[in-house]
This record gives sequence, C-alpha cells and structure tokens, in this order.
Amino acid sequence: MRRFVAGRLAQAAIVVFLVTTVTFILVHLAPGDPIAMGLDRPGVSEAVRQHWREDFGLDRPLVEQYLRWLSNAARGDLGWSFSFHQPVRDVIVDALPRTLLLVGLAMMLSFALGIVVAVLQTERPGGRRDRWFGRILLLLYSVPDFWLALVVLLMFAYRLPLFPTSGIVDPLMHDYMSFSGRLLDRLRHLVLPVSTLTLLATAAISRHQRSALLEVMPSDWMRTAIAKGVSQRQAVRRHALRNALLPSITLAGLYLPALAAGALFVEKVFSWPGMGLLAADAIAARDYMLITASVLVTSVAVAIGALLADVAAAVADPRIRVR
Amino acid sequence: MDVASLTRDVDPRSLDHVWAHFPSLTAIFPDNMPRTPRRFSFSATHWTPAFLAGVLLLGCSDVKQQAAGPADVGGTIVVATPGEPDYLLPPLAAQIVGRQVTDLLYDRLAEIGDNLSTVDDKGFKPQLAARWEWAPDSLSIVFHLDPKARWHDGQPVRASDVRYSLNLVKDPAFGSPTAPLVTNIDSISVRDSLTAVAHFKRHTPEQFYDLAYQVYIVPEHILGNTPPAQLKTAEVARRGIGSGRFRLVKWDAGKQVELVADTLNYRGRPKLDRVVFSKSPDFNSAVTRFLSGDADVFEILRPENIEKLKGDTLRRAVPYPSLQYGYLALNLIDAAHPGQPHRIFGDRAVRRALTMAVDRRSMLQNVFGGYGFPLFGPFPHSLPVADTTLPQLPYDTVKARALLDSAGWTVGADGVRVKNGQRLEFTITVPVSSAIRMKYSVLLQEAFKKVGADVKLDQTDMAGYMAKNGDRSFDTTVEGYSTDPSVSGFKQSWSTAALGKDGSNFTSYANPTVDALLDSATFTFDPARTRAYARRAFEIINEDAPGIWLYEPATVAGIQKRIHPTHMRADGWWSGLADWWIPASERTARDRIGLRPTP
Repeated sequence: MRRFVAGRLAQAAIVVFLVTTVTFILVHLAPGDPIAMGLDRPGVSEAVRQHWREDFGLDRPLVEQYLRWLSNAARGDLGWSFSFHQPVRDVIVDALPRTLLLVGLAMMLSFALGIVVAVLQTERPGGRRDRWFGRILLLLYSVPDFWLALVVLLMFAYRLPLFPTSGIVDPLMHDYMSFSGRLLDRLRHLVLPVSTLTLLATAAISRHQRSALLEVMPSDWMRTAIAKGVSQRQAVRRHALRNALLPSITLAGLYLPALAAGALFVEKVFSWPGMGLLAADAIAARDYMLITASVLVTSVAVAIGALLADVAAAVADPRIRVR
Repeated sequence: MDVASLTRDVDPRSLDHVWAHFPSLTAIFPDNMPRTPRRFSFSATHWTPAFLAGVLLLGCSDVKQQAAGPADVGGTIVVATPGEPDYLLPPLAAQIVGRQVTDLLYDRLAEIGDNLSTVDDKGFKPQLAARWEWAPDSLSIVFHLDPKARWHDGQPVRASDVRYSLNLVKDPAFGSPTAPLVTNIDSISVRDSLTAVAHFKRHTPEQFYDLAYQVYIVPEHILGNTPPAQLKTAEVARRGIGSGRFRLVKWDAGKQVELVADTLNYRGRPKLDRVVFSKSPDFNSAVTRFLSGDADVFEILRPENIEKLKGDTLRRAVPYPSLQYGYLALNLIDAAHPGQPHRIFGDRAVRRALTMAVDRRSMLQNVFGGYGFPLFGPFPHSLPVADTTLPQLPYDTVKARALLDSAGWTVGADGVRVKNGQRLEFTITVPVSSAIRMKYSVLLQEAFKKVGADVKLDQTDMAGYMAKNGDRSFDTTVEGYSTDPSVSGFKQSWSTAALGKDGSNFTSYANPTVDALLDSATFTFDPARTRAYARRAFEIINEDAPGIWLYEPATVAGIQKRIHPTHMRADGWWSGLADWWIPASERTARDRIGLRPTP
C-alpha cells in the first residue's frame, strides 16, 4: 500500500508541475496584461505602465519570469495579486475555506440525499416512486448549473424574499449580531447556494447509485437473502447498498477537487467569494500570479482526490487491494 | 413611459444642478439635427430622450420639498459595486471603485464646482485650503490650510503634507498614473505649517485645476517612512487614513469596504453614519442585490432595470449627469504597417459614407429605449464646452452609396463592394462584457451591410479588447469612453500629441488645425473663446469623421426610496454622498447601527 501511495504521489507531483507550467505560459500568451487592465486609461502614459511592469518584473523574458515564480513558489511565496493588491497566498487563504464550506456541505448533503433517493428508487424498481424520482433527477441532471442557480435566486430571494441574494454573511449586520444570530445569518446565506449545488450533485450521485444497486440486485446472495425471508426493503438497505457503494466512493474522489476549485457559476450567481469566483476574476483581470496559484491549488486537489478515491476504493473492496 | 413616477420622491431643490446639466429640449435636439426625410417622422417615440428630459424637469416641479432636519443624521448606505477598489491611496487609485472610496476618504485643496469649470479657480470651493491667493505673475498660488483640518488619526494636516503629496505624484519611482497630469506644477514650498505655496512652470487656464483636482493630499507622517517605490505593495497603502468626511473601518478584499462618519471632521459630520461598498461579481448580481433590498444604491441601471422600477414602492430611479459616451472608432492607420493609412478608413470619403449609413437615432431608440441621448461630437453634453448645435452628417444611405461609388468601391457579385481587388470588409471589435456595445455592434454590422460592407464581429473579453485598443490592432471598436472634465482632456483623445500608446487617440486621428484649435481652447482664459475654439475643432472632427458618434447614456442610478440624494456631480455621482440623508422615521435595522465600532 505504501509503495502504491508513493507511486501515485510521484505521478501527482509531475502532473501538478506540468499543469502549472502550461498554465503559466498560456496565461502570459493571452492578450492583455494585469498592468494594462489597471492602467490603460486616459491620461496614463505608457511610461507609467512600463514602470509598473518593471516594478513587478513583467518586462523580463518569460523563462526568467517562470523560473523566478517557480523558485518563489517552492519557498511558499506565490507572488503578488494584481487584482486584490495582496500577496496571493493571503487571497487563497481567504477564499479556500469559503469554498470548502460551500462545496463540502453540498457534497455531504448530496451524497446522503443521493444514496437515500437511490435506495428508495430501487426498493421497487420501475414502480411509481422510481419513475417520478427518475424524471425529477433527469431534469435536475440536465439543467445547467447557472440556470438552476438563477431560478433558485429568483424564486427564494427575489419573488419570495426568504433568503439573502448573495455573500457569505450580511455585509454589515453580521458583526453586530449575537453568536446565535451570526450562526443563523451564516446558515441563511448558505441555504440557496448549498441547495443549488446539492440538487445538481444529488441528481448525478443518485443515478450512479441506482445503477450500481440495480446491478447487484440480481446477485445470488440477494436472492438467498430474500429467500430466507428478508423483505425487499431490508435486502436493499442491509445487503445491496454496502456492496454497491463502490461507484459512489469513486465519485466522491472525483468530486473532491471541486472542494478546492469551487463551483464557478454557483459562486458567481450568489456572489460567494470562493475559489471559483476568484479564478474567474483572476482570468478576467489577467492576474497572472493568482491564476497560476488557483490552478496549482486545484491541480493538487485533483491529484489528492484521485489518490484518496483509489485508496478508499482499495479499503472498501479487498479485491482491488489484491490487484 | 412614466419617468415622473420614477423620480417623484426626489427632492427637486437638491438635484437642481443635475437638471441644470440637462440642456433645454431645443438644445438637445436642435433644428439642424439630421433627419431622414422619408423614414423619420416627428414622432413621440423618436423624441423620447427629449421627453425624458422634459418629464424629469416637469415631474419634479410639484414634488413636496424636503430637507434634512437635525434628527435626520444617521443611517447606512450599502452601494453595490461590480468591482473592487484597486488602491485606497489616491495617487495610485485608477479604477472607478478605488476612486469612489478614495474621494470619500481624502480631500483635495479645493473642490471643483458643479459646473465642472476648469478655468482658473472659477467655481472651486475650499476644501483643505480655507483660502488661496494668486501671485501677481500668476506663476504661484499661496494656499492657506484650514487650521481645523485633521487626519483620521487625529494629527493636524500640515503644509508639508501638501508638498509631500505633490512630490509623491511626481516621483518616477512611485509611478503614479496621475503624474503626466501635473507636469505644469513645478514644486510646492512650505511657508509655515499652514501655508503651502504652489509654483507653476507656466500660467495656464487649468493650472489651478491641475493642482486642486488632480492632487489629493495624503499624510506624510503615515506614508513618508515607506520608500515611494514600495508603496504599491505596502500595507500602509491599504490603511486609507485621509482627512475626508468618512474614515475607513475595514477593507475585506473581494467583499467590501466599510466607511464610517468622521464625526469631528473640519468640514462637518456627514449626515450618514456609514457607507459600505459591497462587491458583486458582475452587473447582474449587483442589480439583483439592489432589487432585493440587500443593497441601497446601484450606480447605473440598464433601461430594462429602470422599467422594472415603475410602481416600485421601495426603490426609484434617479438620473444624474455623467461624462460617458460611446462611439465607433475607425482606425485611420494600418495596424500591420504603422505609418500607413488604413486601406478602408484612411479615406475620408469612406468614413463619411459609413457615417451616413448609420441611423444613429433609431439605434439609440433600439438600444436605450428612450434612456439615452444622441451624441453630437466627441463630448458628453454636460461639459461646459459641449455644443449640441454642431452640424451632423445626415443619415442618408443613398448618399452613402454614392460616396462609396465615387471613392472607387464598386459593388461586387456578392453584394460586397470591391476596390483594386480588395473587398470592403472589416471587423468591429467589441467587449462581450458590455451589453450596450454588443447590441450596437450588431446594429452597425447590419447598417454597413446595407451599403455593401462585409463586417465581422470580433467579440472579446475586456483584457483582449484593451490589448487591441492599446496597440491599435483593430479596424473599428465600439468605444465606451468617460472623458476628463477639462478641455485638455480632448487633446488626450483627438490631438496628434496623443498618437501612440501614451494617449487615448484610438483612431490615430491627426489634423494640425484641430491640434491648433484645441491648444488655443486650452490656453485661453476667456470661457467664451474656449467654447468657440472647441466648437470649431469639433466641427472639423465631425467633418473628418474619424468616429461615428453613437450615444450618451442617460445615467440613472437605482436608489432605495428611504435615501434622499442631494448632490450628484457629472464627474462622480458620489461627490456629495456625505450630504445624502435618511429620514429618522424611515430607517431600517442597518440604519440603526449607529457609530458603534465594528466588534
């Protein structure tokens, strides 16, 4: 197992290096630069813009810039964010926990909900409940995330003003609330974005889980259990579910990177200042260092997610360990 | 359209200066405004901009006047912004939200008047300088600082701060975007702690404006210990310690900036307790926040948003003057061969023909639905030198086709004109983030097609758009421009000196006569002559047609009805924010926080 993990870690390191290198080069080749974005306006001379480029080393050859970035990154210095006017590390440290909270909560809920729905569906495959859940899940699976987010926003923040439209807390009142008030405020701000993400992810998880359950249902041991007098419901819950969890574990590993990458469209619609929104803003502002750092964090998360999925699958299924 | 209903609760007296900037109906639509004989009729629909201005004027006349009483001090305004401040240090702040916040945190020596006159000190009102005296040769001005002026940390504002502020802006190691605008100011000397003397290289009409408007006074005792070259990344540049009527509470990067009233301010306590600039990721999110009540103010509503506010009991649309306008910039030089004229737009006749192919009036109606003004030249109508009686090239597709024929562009087999084997094809570059400009690009494409031009749309993100603008590698672009209030601002866009990357002469337009006229307009002390020179320059520019003047948006802010705006200047709607007020009886929970410091 140790060799397996070490091997995967080495692969992950190479992938992360290549992805960030390609990103660094591509983003520098895109038209525009962070200085022009901030200072390309009437009255600002080219000399001033050039001065800023020199100050931040953007006038240096690309290879030199890259080597300098690499050497700084190795020491934990991810550079300066031109759009946030702060060290990139501080910006990431601010945004990452917000995304972890949003996506983490949505993932937990969607896995719980997805598995429950799949179990309910497979208790009587083809029945009315299965068909209705199937239709609803297919609908949710098909709608674009930004569209669903907008509809949820329109319904529950604008038409029925039950929840706030945006942000992670009330921009003003939060600091003046009691502890319980603050907690409630945070929860209220979480409801719409978490619900949107949960609905979207539940549809996918549930469909996968249902397929996995239907696959194990005709197994001999299921038939034996039912023949011994176990009800269909108990057979599914006690026996089939445990044996059909492997796809969900794999899916969880694949969803893990979203914890770090964020959910761009949902974050954008609900003005949730997480990693997705951060990366999108950074790209729009040609904030080279922030874009590269976002990709770095995301690629590390992808690598860790894939590794954890493999390890979890191996733990859950001894056959994989043997292979 | 019931614009009156949108503005019914606005205190008319408080916005007098706004209405003053809306010219009379005949001024907006002069008799010589080009009309298309066949297609255009004198219909109400076509005159909606005039109708808008008229109703605004009339609609406010019967409004019950309201003024803030002593009990009306307090309250909070949350401003939804689609962006983030770049810096909280004025000489570095170049982006709009940064300017909004720094304008409230920092003071200048004097404040420009509502008419935005930049000539001498006419209209300027004292700010940090309680008074000033001109030297007999006008090459120096003595500023006497208000002895009551204090920085937000309690230290007094000194003449040495004024000297430091100018030196900082001029320091090449600092790299202030404002530096090119203060080249005429030689230095500032300190006579005593409250007296600063500004020395100028030349006596010009805008020398006072150069110092008073472009240079914010920043605290030497806070910033002076950091080398100027390091201020861009220094923590001290984020503290926002100024002498303005609001002080900084906190700046949560990516989320919001919170300001609170400076109750002991030498210019008086603001009527509001608190102003929060809350960032939204984009325009739509900001509007949603305003419409849901999460935000109190959103600075620019689109026509469809304004329509939504009809009958709204909590929110209203408030128009204000601005310095924005939009035009199609025609690149007069060949991007691939700098110095060579553009194969299409290098020919004046073709530019005039294409201008005549555009029904600007219909487009304005189509895009703005009555919430926009026609543009008569490269200027918004709220500027003192604006002249809305300038002759215009008419919308006349027959003449446009004839002009193109005579210029040698003959119609080919596929309907696209050809000259010397080259097709009349070009691109319109437009930023996808601007819905208005995107709409215009499509309409323009269609209009040019009718006279035999094959136009492709080059839709790009803002960074790509700005890069193309910067190196002039475009055929045409739909420019959204916000001009400087000074006459010299026109030189930045239309003079030969502004060619290349240093200026904003995107079209690379060069005409020595225009240069001379703009120079004369800039160096004349008589406002009437300034207007006359500027008018002649604009007339020639219109004849040469380096751009097609498209629109001036009727800038309309969305404001919650409990808030009473009192002052919205064309160069910044926020200029009078400290005097906006909220009646005690209409306050909400967030208004009642008071001045308590953040826990």
